[in-house]
Amino acid sequence: MRGGGRGPGAGGRLMTYALAVFAVVAALLPVYWMLTISLKRQVDQLAVPPKWLIFEPTLAHYADAFLERSFAQYLVTSAIVAVSSTACALVLGTLAAYGLARFRLPRKLNTRVALWILSTRMFPPIVTAVPIFLLMSDLELLDTIASLVIVYTGFNLPFVVWMMRGFFREIPRELEEAARVDGDSRLGALRRVILPLVTPGLAATAVFCLIISWNEFLFALTLTQTDNAMTLPVGISGRVTQYEIEWGVMSAAGVVAMIPILVFALAVQRYLVRGLSLGAVKG
Amino acid sequence: MLSKVSRKLLKGRGHTRGGERALPYLLIAPTVAVLVALSIYPLVYAVKVSLQSDSGDGARWTLQHFARLLSDDFFRSALAHTLVYAAIALTVEFLLGLGLAVLLNREMRGRSFFRAALLVPMMLPPVVVGVVWRLMLNSSFGVINGTLQSVGVNTEQLTWTGTPKLAFASVILVDIWQWTPFIFLILLAGLQAIPEEPYEAALIDGSSPWQTFRHVTLPLLKPAILIALLLRTMDLLRVFDQIWILTQGAPGGATETASLYIYLTAFRFGDFGYAAAMSFVLLLLTNVVSVLYIRLLQRQEEA
Amino acid sequence: MQTEKRFSDSSPNPTQRFVSIIILLALLLLPFSACQRGGGNGKQLTLAVNSGVEGSALKQAAKDYEAQTGVRVNIAEFPYANLFEKELVDLNARTGAYDLIMLDDPWFPKFAANNSLTDLTPLYEKRGLKGPDDDFVPASIALGRHPYETGALYALPYVGNSQLFFYRKDIFEKHGLKEPATWDDVLAAARAISERETAGAPNGGRMHGYVMRAAQGNAVVADFMPIFWAFGAEMFDAEGRPTVNSPEGIAALRFMLELGKYSPPGYQSFNADEVSAHLLQGTAAMSINWPAWISAFGDPAKSKVIGKVEFTVMPGGARPGRAEIGNWLMAIPRASKNAEAAFEFLVWATSAEQMKRSALRGNPPTRKSVFTDAELMAKFPAYPAQLRSLENSRPRPRTPFWNEIENAFGIYLSKANGGELSPEDAMNQANAKIAEIIGRGK
Repeated sequence: MRGGGRGPGAGGRLMTYALAVFAVVAALLPVYWMLTISLKRQVDQLAVPPKWLIFEPTLAHYADAFLERSFAQYLVTSAIVAVSSTACALVLGTLAAYGLARFRLPRKLNTRVALWILSTRMFPPIVTAVPIFLLMSDLELLDTIASLVIVYTGFNLPFVVWMMRGFFREIPRELEEAARVDGDSRLGALRRVILPLVTPGLAATAVFCLIISWNEFLFALTLTQTDNAMTLPVGISGRVTQYEIEWGVMSAAGVVAMIPILVFALAVQRYLVRGLSLGAVKG
Repeated sequence: MLSKVSRKLLKGRGHTRGGERALPYLLIAPTVAVLVALSIYPLVYAVKVSLQSDSGDGARWTLQHFARLLSDDFFRSALAHTLVYAAIALTVEFLLGLGLAVLLNREMRGRSFFRAALLVPMMLPPVVVGVVWRLMLNSSFGVINGTLQSVGVNTEQLTWTGTPKLAFASVILVDIWQWTPFIFLILLAGLQAIPEEPYEAALIDGSSPWQTFRHVTLPLLKPAILIALLLRTMDLLRVFDQIWILTQGAPGGATETASLYIYLTAFRFGDFGYAAAMSFVLLLLTNVVSVLYIRLLQRQEEA
Repeated sequence: MQTEKRFSDSSPNPTQRFVSIIILLALLLLPFSACQRGGGNGKQLTLAVNSGVEGSALKQAAKDYEAQTGVRVNIAEFPYANLFEKELVDLNARTGAYDLIMLDDPWFPKFAANNSLTDLTPLYEKRGLKGPDDDFVPASIALGRHPYETGALYALPYVGNSQLFFYRKDIFEKHGLKEPATWDDVLAAARAISERETAGAPNGGRMHGYVMRAAQGNAVVADFMPIFWAFGAEMFDAEGRPTVNSPEGIAALRFMLELGKYSPPGYQSFNADEVSAHLLQGTAAMSINWPAWISAFGDPAKSKVIGKVEFTVMPGGARPGRAEIGNWLMAIPRASKNAEAAFEFLVWATSAEQMKRSALRGNPPTRKSVFTDAELMAKFPAYPAQLRSLENSRPRPRTPFWNEIENAFGIYLSKANGGELSPEDAMNQANAKIAEIIGRGK
């Protein structure tokens, strides 16, 4: 068992469990609360003292959100955008990471380019929002799914490049040399030999990219003007009306917004930790 | 089939040798192209706009936006808020994340479950997090005050989003709740990557757990720590989503961070020039901080 | 191994491989960009509306219109602040995404100033009319003219909101209080109720005499202006210089802080939802607000005070009380590609018949005939009061800088309510900031 963890004594063990339980409760309680809000009638939502467990449940908010209003459409849009931008970023970024990891470029370009790619994550999104809005407007891509995919790919690329670069550097060159001796081309070696080895890393990276794209708010807000391309976060924030905040609809949409990410991430959770530890964090 | 297509396209291209010299550049080019389009172009546009003033009869070149930076007290407080926010949140998130990582690195039953559960907050859309916490923090009807009331605490003065200091604290609290798992995840991965040997050596040497932690674990964890802190700092300096939903910068501008003020200036007042000028300041700030981290990372890499 | 070797012999060189990947990617993206801007044949209109009862009514109307005429109406719905931002960006960048926009009247000067709205008079003339008919309340139509009241017509009023004063008539009767006619009455009543009704709320808790919106920004300014005006203060003098720090202005702010003492704690961050929650849950006895809530008071799923709330016109002070007008207008962006079709819809939606439907959906109308319609008056007994209030109302200052001013003014009011600044300091600093904002525009 790695990492220096040792089984503590009985008292220590109890403490460990207690702390862990406390942490988990703190993490999940608000989520539970949101779930209950989505199932409560309005008059119960605001009741004091708060109704933790006993209340008259209703599915009205879910029906309202997904049947009456356009949240089903927002859900589909979010899904398409997240998957597409993750796929694009993975393909482009992995190739670039491979290029940066395996080939020695002149004038320290490897590190320089890698650092420049990372630095693009630094610019405050607020101000790129306006020029990108105008750019998309000129390209007649405003209010389309394509514009979001392009922008989110740009968000995900630095992350993919950095993660995958780390993973690639972990793998000894000899493996590829062996494959090439067998007659493989460079890229063939990549595909047949290396990629299977970094699958955990790809999975971890993919999950992060999906989360980033799925949850993004500012650019979705700026680049979408009608239901054509509106994503879930923007739709949810739109429930803040001038006179009342539609907590029920917001929570119902919020719960549904959470589920795909949770399911997917929990499925690859093992790989997440292992993948990260194999890669970038080793430096 | 696709290969046949591309072969047709590249008829006459040399065999492996010639293709290979160009290969790395070809591999990197698309990524660089996308990033240039999405970062250089906006940067250039922002520079142009920050040096212009649109006064109805065409644009003039002017430095007035930058001059205004010096006298704008709203901007100064926004920057101050951003820095304080980032410093506090980062410290707490780091300490908590480290603690949790060490805790859940140990052998225990249900470890997977605990780890999975702790990851939940950071997966939620920040907008949703903002909404949930806003409801919970509502001073009259929220569940936090409601629960406190039912155990007899007088919550009249506990207006979480109404008093400047409390609002600031609340906003940081929400950030800590959502992003500690992020640091936890990276540090946990880092811990798992440390091999057994150093620990065995330390055990043989008779080190206490604390000494082991300080002299074995922490140094080996350094790259993970640096990455976690770097990524988190960059995000903290430009925080927007959840604050926007929670308080919109109120009360009295107490929770207005730099990003919020820039957003309002650009989209509510339509003053893109000034917004661009302000964001250069923010960028400069982020740059300075990140350069520090990156220097440290580079030294780590070359080691 | 054997098969692999043979396969790898015929595999293309790296560059070829690479190109095929790029082709794959391009094919992947293509379907998405293509299938968005479809439907250019049948007539289509895109409306930007507000999330809330006003926008919902327009959404319903759009569905009816579609059923009647076959013209497809797409709705883009946003919350208040976002709607402003979306429309502003669309108008400034002239993207033509929206054919019709709903706008709150304080936004109008900024939108109209940039020449980004379509002048409606030529469109009326094309139909052989001089302009809108006389049935519209003059105060409402004046809002859609640029310059105010006298200029060309760029927008028609759709929702005729003007503030009302709400109070719990059962509580007032219980304590022998008269309907408040001045702000001093209000303060006295608030004090009395807060002191006596320490367990008067339905959940057994305290009842507060008054509740107000003091959340920074639009909320606090909207609730403050009636007090400000009643005290005799003005935001700008005759030359257009800011005068919020006049003695009257400072007195008004001081009064607001007094009133705040009898409001629920945390009111400094209250917006409409908290105020309505307090009224509906019965924990507050008086408030200013927009008539849209009247229907909620009678809804058992939302209200604990059915039948107990009364409304009256705005209390006065040194000057007679005048409500603040807050109409929702509809305009056609100049960049719209369907201006004529949009105008058809606009005229239809603001016709008396459609406005009556909108009224039944909870929106006060902007036509006199609809306010005095017998069926509606039976359903909404407050209509006579509302019509009087509307005709007598005054708008917030008509300046293209209103949003910045409201933001800055709101910050200082919020600081004063939070105890951070004294009323004098808050007003002085606000005045300086407003002067700076106006000065920048010169």
